[in-house]
Amino acid sequence: MKRIMAQSLAMLAVILLVVTAASAAEVSQGKCLQYDKTAMKITIEEYDIQFSKEAPYGRPTGVQSVFDVAKAQIGITPQPGDILRLAYDQNGADKIAIKVMNVSKQDLKKK
Amino acid sequence: MKRLTHKLLAMVPTSILCLPVTLWAAGDKATNIVVVADTRRVTGVMKYFSNLYNTDILMYAIWAVILTAAMGCILGFLMDFIMERTGLDLKSRKIIEH
Amino acid sequence: MDASWLYMFMPIAGVQIFWPGLVLIGFSVGTIGGFFGMGGAWMVTPGLNILGFPMAFAIGTDIAHIAGKSMVSTIRHSKFGNVDYKLGFIMIIGTMIGIECGAQIVMWLERLGQVGPVVRWVYVGFLFLISLMVFSDYAKAHKKKKQGIVEGEKGVEGFTWYKTLHKIKIPPMVHFKASGIYCSAWLPILVSFTTGVLAGFLGIGGGLLRMPALIYFIGVPTHIAVGTDLFEVMISGLYGAFTYTLKGRIELVAVFVMLTGAAIGAQIGTVATKYAKGYGIRLAFGVAVLCCMISIILKQFKFEMSAAILILGTISTICVYIVAIMLKGAAAELRAKKANAQMAAQA
Repeated sequence: MKRIMAQSLAMLAVILLVVTAASAAEVSQGKCLQYDKTAMKITIEEYDIQFSKEAPYGRPTGVQSVFDVAKAQIGITPQPGDILRLAYDQNGADKIAIKVMNVSKQDLKKK
Repeated sequence: MKRLTHKLLAMVPTSILCLPVTLWAAGDKATNIVVVADTRRVTGVMKYFSNLYNTDILMYAIWAVILTAAMGCILGFLMDFIMERTGLDLKSRKIIEH
Repeated sequence: MDASWLYMFMPIAGVQIFWPGLVLIGFSVGTIGGFFGMGGAWMVTPGLNILGFPMAFAIGTDIAHIAGKSMVSTIRHSKFGNVDYKLGFIMIIGTMIGIECGAQIVMWLERLGQVGPVVRWVYVGFLFLISLMVFSDYAKAHKKKKQGIVEGEKGVEGFTWYKTLHKIKIPPMVHFKASGIYCSAWLPILVSFTTGVLAGFLGIGGGLLRMPALIYFIGVPTHIAVGTDLFEVMISGLYGAFTYTLKGRIELVAVFVMLTGAAIGAQIGTVATKYAKGYGIRLAFGVAVLCCMISIILKQFKFEMSAAILILGTISTICVYIVAIMLKGAAAELRAKKANAQMAAQA
């Protein structure tokens, strides 16, 4: 009985792994430069992952990226200057955002 | 004492009736929070799960339940095995109320 | 010295957490939960908060950890014969429907805009009633024992409301062998439904309400009430974990870290019930409920810090008490076993 249960659990796990291995989204974080509500585009300046006390969100890299947020789930409305973290799919040259998190406004570290 | 209990019992339905309630114990009211896990900072299995969290939350939820259940079972049987080594009788007990 | 290995990165919440703290919280709540048969979400949240866990993740993480932990305790209780599965399954129906109804009522009231601090006070009222019930029951049983009145094979009991409720004979009548009771199937369904509604509407797991309800209204022996309640907590916990994860409010890494501590604690708490008398468990439960109540009152008046201190203090005290029961009982049992073996060798 126990063995059958363990086996079926393992089977289920393998199936799930195979099914879910397909999708992979990129994540990028940076300062919001512009949030265009009509075109549903967000422009950010990307930050790197060198976190420190002086730069808790990483250091600016100077690279600007534009994300299509038409289908994205957006948390607290982004405003220029906010630090955003986006999960997105790279579709050719377009970056299609899935979720947009307002890191600085939401501030999860605060209880 | 008996009268007191009767009174208290009468209070139960009354208090149920005047319960204008929120999910208080569930903490602060949920504002529109969207969380993106930072997959740039993690590797391996953690990366896989953080990624799943970002892209397919339903699958992540199924995984969470299965893994929690599996972990509970594994730890339960493991601890059981260890406790049996102590030589205590873990199969029977007397019920004494007072 | 570099203490960074003591901190673990939580990928979703994006914070560094002192992991031995998580193990410790898991351990204490595991011990208490295994002993009382409740989830204990109200005890975990302030602890997580102090460790710097974001509130948004505290509740979901709590619930998932509680589901896993109850599983460990249920396995153990099941071996003692403390879980009445028949009763458990019948009650799941009531619990599930009840929780949904409770949640619906909340949403309906929210639409009406009738939400206020009244909830807290009602919650406090309930906790007060429960602890009052537990303590006055204890006092009554104590008095009976002094007078030498013993009814039934279970020993002295204070309140015996369930005897009256058992007289209601609406078919189908069911015999619950593990608990040794014979009553209408509607009694456990109704009780679980009521506790379910309250739980859904107060946003708690419901172990706090269900455990005394099992004892006083259905007449389940204390030990079996604990085991059966844990079974319910496990099922509703897994369901809760699923819905909270769908909302993205869970940190799986923390759940696993806490579970390792909880697994050990759950064993200790569960085995300790073997050495405790039913009324010992009931009394300690009353104390826990009382502290929960006081901490909510403190929170209401914005004494957040003292509330947290009170809860954590209570947890550690009760935890030490349970571990002491367990160690004392286990030592006595092993000594008796050894003495028996010696006697046998001499004979």
